Amino acid sequence: GKNEYDLLVIGGGSGGLACAKEAAQFGRKVAVLDSVEPSPQGTTWGIGGTCVNVGCIPKKLMHQAALLGSALKDAQHYGWNISQPVHHTWSVMAQGVQNYVKSLNWGHRVQLQDKKVKYFNIKGRFSDPHTVRGLTKAGKETVVTADNIVIATGGRPKYPTHIAGALEYGITSDDLFWLKESPGKTLPSFILYVALECAGFLTGIGLDTTVMMRSIPLRGFDQASHISKKKQIYFTTQQQMASLVTEHMESYGTKFLKRCSPTKVEKLKSKRLQVTWKNDDLNTEETDSFDTVMWAVGRVPDTKTLNLETVGVKTNCETGKIIVDASEATSVPHIYAVGDITEGRPELTPVAIAAGKLLAQRLFGQSSELMDYKNVPTTVFTPLEYGCVGLSEEAAVQCHGSDNIEVYHAYYKPLEFTVAERDATQCYVKMVCLRERQQRILGLHFIGPNAGEVIQGFALGIKCGATYPQLMKTVGIHPTCAEEVTKLRITKRSGLDATVTGC
Amino acid sequence: MGWEEMQVRGYPEFVRTAQSYHGRPIFALFCGDKDAEGRSWCPDCVTAEPVVRKELHNLPDKSVFIYCLVGDRAYWKDPNNEFRRNLKLTAVPTLLKYGTPQKLVEEECFKAELVRMLFTED
Repeated sequence: GKNEYDLLVIGGGSGGLACAKEAAQFGRKVAVLDSVEPSPQGTTWGIGGTCVNVGCIPKKLMHQAALLGSALKDAQHYGWNISQPVHHTWSVMAQGVQNYVKSLNWGHRVQLQDKKVKYFNIKGRFSDPHTVRGLTKAGKETVVTADNIVIATGGRPKYPTHIAGALEYGITSDDLFWLKESPGKTLPSFILYVALECAGFLTGIGLDTTVMMRSIPLRGFDQASHISKKKQIYFTTQQQMASLVTEHMESYGTKFLKRCSPTKVEKLKSKRLQVTWKNDDLNTEETDSFDTVMWAVGRVPDTKTLNLETVGVKTNCETGKIIVDASEATSVPHIYAVGDITEGRPELTPVAIAAGKLLAQRLFGQSSELMDYKNVPTTVFTPLEYGCVGLSEEAAVQCHGSDNIEVYHAYYKPLEFTVAERDATQCYVKMVCLRERQQRILGLHFIGPNAGEVIQGFALGIKCGATYPQLMKTVGIHPTCAEEVTKLRITKRSGLDATVTGC
Repeated sequence: MGWEEMQVRGYPEFVRTAQSYHGRPIFALFCGDKDAEGRSWCPDCVTAEPVVRKELHNLPDKSVFIYCLVGDRAYWKDPNNEFRRNLKLTAVPTLLKYGTPQKLVEEECFKAELVRMLFTED
């Protein structure tokens, strides 16, 4: 018989909801399935996916909480009478954040209802290419059939199950943002932007935080060498873009255990957790106790319970992610996928939203526009933020050869840091351009306050094919940090001191 | 046990009533005052009230429905009135589940399915 819906979206997160709501705009009959499997620690949440509940939103709010802590410290220098030290109460912050998240959950429910999108709070699994079934909380089996199905179930944090005690005693980002009580002395392990961001704001609100890392920080982000301020010798000092971020965190109190791998987690009588690890540098075994151990060792796609094998949706055997083509189509006709679940796409909310909307427009709106995954800007919200768009230095070198690219860079000092007597050693900006012809800008990397706000506008520039000469003709706004981008003149190649002096 | 309705006027009476039902699900509809003929100065409240009343049978057991008249138009327009300040109301009519971020404002209250969702969802 005929399928009940024009579109069924499995997963009510950034990508899924955007796709569903867009399809509904075209007057289509749309249904959304959303269901949250509680974390091993029992944490669960409402509709909206990772971003709203356990990602971007609570993360940025807690990052803001930490920044405000720093601002309070700076405030004295600007004349405010604030008694130090200033104290932070986790539960007040958590309640504010959690209430806001809940209002977003509600907002999504209202929107879906308003746009006549049918919502099922069930965990669906395929029984054939047009049929998904699942059980409601009450145990009732629900069957949904649709002409088109979009899988947007996203991912969940990975647990290092090979480490004894990891699952029973550790938490992940799924739990951190929903804690009612302070996590206390915390060990986020290992290195991923999630670990750095969380460690960053935990330190910022006054908690004793240690990050344990097996290898290099921020794998996948820009790692290229830059000229050390102290040595000023071309290519002999290897200080990495990503390590600037961790350096800043270290100077502000986050402890780092580098080249260490945890071997076990045990619970002490005091309820604290004892972590044992191997120090790869010293080849010793070390141990310490913490209130909380948080794992940030990667995310895994949420496909296990979907029954993809039954319908033949192909996944990448290594990552488990769904393989899609440029139109988000899977190996099965009429089944698509968007967001974190898809192989080879940036795991970002705006990417999922844009892909979801465009997909709906192609399916129901006579559009043929495909999602452009190139030059997607992004920002890591560590205490000193790192924003970037376009190619990293290494990627540019790999793509064009080091002779064909020019890298401009500068160390700068935000004006606001001066009176506050804040160390700006890691405030840095780097731009990668082609050397030949128009000197097109390939990538921009910025470490400093409000990096996301700075990079956003330049993302448009890169999209429009902006060139270095055009940038040189762009007048900066003064006094800002963003203007430092327009003032980039020193190249790495020249070996000159890249420190910006006053105006 | 079903649900029960309480009619109150003004902020202090609202708070007293809500607190007296602490522990039970509380839903509240805030409307502008009514004149001697029983008509509110707030036209949207006039539209919303029958829609909300029609859905009251969906209220969970043991719920309390508080029908609250906020005051006259001048009181409501004051940006510092207690409803705006303490309950963060931005408009009338507002239908909300007390103690949660779940609420419907203005035209949202005209939609029976939204009202039903507010009354029945977790």
